[in-house]
Amino acid sequence: MSSAPVIETEGLSKLFGEQRALDNVTLKISPGSIGLLGPNGAGKTTFMKCLLQLQPITSGSARLLGREVGREGREIRKRVGYAPELNCHIPGMAGCEYVTYCAQLSGLPFQAARQRAHEMLDFVGLGQERYRKVDTYSTGMRQRLKLAQAIVHDPEIVFLDEPTNGLDPKGQAQILELVRSLWRAYGMTVVLSSHLLADVGRVCEQIVIIARGRVLVQDTLENLKARKSGAAEVVLASGHGEFQAACRGRDWLCELLPNGHLRVEHNKDSLNPLLELMHELKLPPLEIIASPNALEETFVQALEISHAAA
Amino acid sequence: MPLHDAHYQHWEGTHAGVWARRWVIAKNGLTASLHNKFVRRVAVVCWVMGLLMAAVIFLLGQLLVPDSIVVRWTAQMGPQLQGIARMLTTWLLEHPEMSVGTTQDVMFYFFCAYLTPLSIFALGVTLPGLITRDLATNAIVIYASKAVSRGDYFLGKFSAAFGLLTVMWLAPVCLAWLVGNLLAPDWRFFWESLAPLCHALIFGLVLMAVLSGLALGVSAVSSKEKWTPALWFIWWVLGGVIAPIAEHTLPWLRHVSFTYDLGQIELATFHFGRDFETAKANIPVLGEALGHIPAETLNAINHPALGGSVAGLAVMLAAAAVILRKRVSPE
Repeated sequence: MSSAPVIETEGLSKLFGEQRALDNVTLKISPGSIGLLGPNGAGKTTFMKCLLQLQPITSGSARLLGREVGREGREIRKRVGYAPELNCHIPGMAGCEYVTYCAQLSGLPFQAARQRAHEMLDFVGLGQERYRKVDTYSTGMRQRLKLAQAIVHDPEIVFLDEPTNGLDPKGQAQILELVRSLWRAYGMTVVLSSHLLADVGRVCEQIVIIARGRVLVQDTLENLKARKSGAAEVVLASGHGEFQAACRGRDWLCELLPNGHLRVEHNKDSLNPLLELMHELKLPPLEIIASPNALEETFVQALEISHAAA
Repeated sequence: MPLHDAHYQHWEGTHAGVWARRWVIAKNGLTASLHNKFVRRVAVVCWVMGLLMAAVIFLLGQLLVPDSIVVRWTAQMGPQLQGIARMLTTWLLEHPEMSVGTTQDVMFYFFCAYLTPLSIFALGVTLPGLITRDLATNAIVIYASKAVSRGDYFLGKFSAAFGLLTVMWLAPVCLAWLVGNLLAPDWRFFWESLAPLCHALIFGLVLMAVLSGLALGVSAVSSKEKWTPALWFIWWVLGGVIAPIAEHTLPWLRHVSFTYDLGQIELATFHFGRDFETAKANIPVLGEALGHIPAETLNAINHPALGGSVAGLAVMLAAAAVILRKRVSPE
């Protein structure tokens, strides 16, 4: 798989009257699962819309999949999928008709479009509802449908704008798992825009934090975690008290969280001392989450710096 | 069961061209229009009218067949109608190159004039399905994110409206001409009636293009499904009321009515006044019968307000284009 940047922007700006929605955004993003993080109104959706040419760029330039945005609209969109945040569908169609139609609009011949529509509806878990009118779908079903129409033409990159909005926790988990698999199992670059840190942290390997139209942070999740190392969340089947006492003996702060996990501040770059302790105590961990709040801390820190600068 | 037990498959095929994508939009729009039961009923009425028109052309041809039922009917009519029928028969026999063309021109003129309101009605009923519903459900964003441009979208929607008018207007006209002349007793009917057919087609294409463009504009005015048909019908009716009133007061105001403007273009296309004069000259009895038509009416028939009508329609279409540009945007 090519590691050439899928998204490149140079001084990208977008103005809505006096308001600057994007301010001189310069980025290079490689293929992968990319999380666009930012508070509401930060410019995440505008950034995606500019790349998809749903909104004209005020100044600067952008390249998507190596092609100049603004010049090769149809060719770019043939290779790109988009699931918008707002509720939208083409009225009067059943689910499979709608997804077939979307595939045809992306250039697939009818037979292929129909076949893939059925496959995608199965893939997103809407197989049972394929013949129901889209207008009667629930919010959760519409979110799945948006995902199905976005990937039906097998794009190289898919933009998902707040794909878990309006979903119950189970639905959220299913959709995120599905989105995660798009890159990890099938090699489709995913750009996930969300203000929910947990969603992004669960799915994405690369993080871009945007606020006030500016890019505050662009790095891999791994690097962000490394920067914030020294803490971990440990899940144990038993022996919580024994483990907490041992931590105190090493001057490590250890607290029991409401979800039953133990948060340990070991202040080391590596998890090895923690693993050694558990080995000594013969307490096999069910799960260890390194730097569990790295994303949150980075996000808050970036926003604080941004506010201070403003 | 995990959701992605159904595995994702990559697709490695050849993409269809941009015209195929435009065709998909047009076909979808037309299919949605024809799902409406009112539209289907109006379509049936239009096709029945086409068959009736074919029957009239057939009966006209029967005037040349001795002892045909038409000849016997005319023999039982009053002296004036009998005279007209006899003169028409003589004219058809002696000057088919002029008589067939002239009579069918007049017949097609009226046929087209009767089909037009039905087409406008059908278009009004289907207006929400053109753009209004897309605006209401944010479908514009979906279109804009696919491999079609805004121009492709408009072209597809325009073609959907144009296709509907083809079903409602053009197809019945062609059916009437084909069936009517196929049943004529003389093959010369085919050749001599080509001019009326051409007039009908030229007017038809103008009418279909103008109505489709205007329908798109009105359809994009609002995202409320009841408003756009209401606006269309109000404009149609109000224009029809204003045009005759404005005739003597503010003549330019007549052109706010698109039916008036299209009517003037129809008069100019068919040269209805010229046909009228030719018929009167060759069938003196008809000339006497029609001699009571006021000079003002004859003047209006002979000198349609073509320039004003074209300008009026151009302004309306420009306004429709502005509405489309402003309203149909993914932003």
